[in-house]
Amino acid sequence: MPAAVAAKAASRSGGTEGRLKELMLRGLDGDPAAHAELLAALSGYLRGYFARRLGAGAADLEDLVQETLLAIHLKRALFDRSQPFTPWAYAIARYKLLTHFRRIGARRMVPLEDAGELFAAENVEEGAVRHDLGRLLARLPGRQRALVADVKLQGLTLEEAAARGGLTPGAAKVSLHRSLKRLAREVRDEDR
Amino acid sequence: MRTDELIAALAEDAGSVRAVNPWRRCALAALAGAAVAAVILVAWLGLRPMGEAMVNPSFWMKAAYTSALALGALAVAARLARPGGRAGRGLLLLAAPLAAIVALAVIQAAVTPMPERAAIWLGVTWTLCPWRILALSIPVYAAVVLALRRLAPTEPVRAGAAAGLLAGAVGATVYGFYCRESAPAFVAVWYTAGVALSAALGALTGGRLLRW
Repeated sequence: MPAAVAAKAASRSGGTEGRLKELMLRGLDGDPAAHAELLAALSGYLRGYFARRLGAGAADLEDLVQETLLAIHLKRALFDRSQPFTPWAYAIARYKLLTHFRRIGARRMVPLEDAGELFAAENVEEGAVRHDLGRLLARLPGRQRALVADVKLQGLTLEEAAARGGLTPGAAKVSLHRSLKRLAREVRDEDR
Repeated sequence: MRTDELIAALAEDAGSVRAVNPWRRCALAALAGAAVAAVILVAWLGLRPMGEAMVNPSFWMKAAYTSALALGALAVAARLARPGGRAGRGLLLLAAPLAAIVALAVIQAAVTPMPERAAIWLGVTWTLCPWRILALSIPVYAAVVLALRRLAPTEPVRAGAAAGLLAGAVGATVYGFYCRESAPAFVAVWYTAGVALSAALGALTGGRLLRW
């Protein structure tokens, strides 16, 4: 990544880059709470970024937020720890936006701007839960959907969800991971 | 599903994550593709006599050129495989071998008497060579595309071009095990053309193929 981009990211106002990168690194090292906090923070930024480009009431808005969070999660092994985090996340958000426009047949250009497009403080939009629920989960077959839907914030409940589904915790973890990857494939293959 | 529920599920999926090395993934894919291309070459055109090739400087000149291009393309593709990645200094790694072969070509032309000059540029197989390189690049391109789909290129057209360039350079290297052309001038034009065709194919198809 060019030095100018890195420097800009590092000086991003409010230390957003520093805060988010730290959460990212802790998540990469296996801290689920840090990972959840990162994703929650990102969801606010993403909602604002997409809302400005799709229209705030757009039906697909929360879908796109969820698809982008899923992509960030599944591709986090491709984050280079020596590089800034915010341009990396911005690149994924922009890519998903472009994919969305192509999928709906809108030939919109999305110029490559600065990661500040995504991470400006005033862009955060919270509390979209009142709006349309994402349709992401609907793409999964029943049993996998139940598992994902059952999983809550505390690690303990993956075991509960496993028990409910008749799986060992280890098997539940594998099943969850596969379900998430399958979700991403379903999203990807949607625009054939 | 609400977003906070998704986030909870993603947090449950958070084990410690081992870093992925895009360079290694693309290199392994290119090698696998090269093996397939080599089999195709032997079945389709056959090999030149290798004893004679090994002592022929032009064989090594061609191999050095196309291998250097492949390494440069690999560097670029690996960078473009990460979100936000840019070609950056990898482009210099591409420009260097190209500049070298062009310099050799110009020197050769300068020392070649006029009546023979056309022959060094056209050789015998100029109408065939670029297309054969393109054909041999296809299995390499397929393998690299499969690798890139498991990575995360956020500029799919550029990544496609880089994958095509890599595939073309590898294909050209494989082709060198058959091709008897020896003039740097020929190589600079027609081998490069084959690689460029492959890169163009990559650019045209990357947007569609490199989805994740």
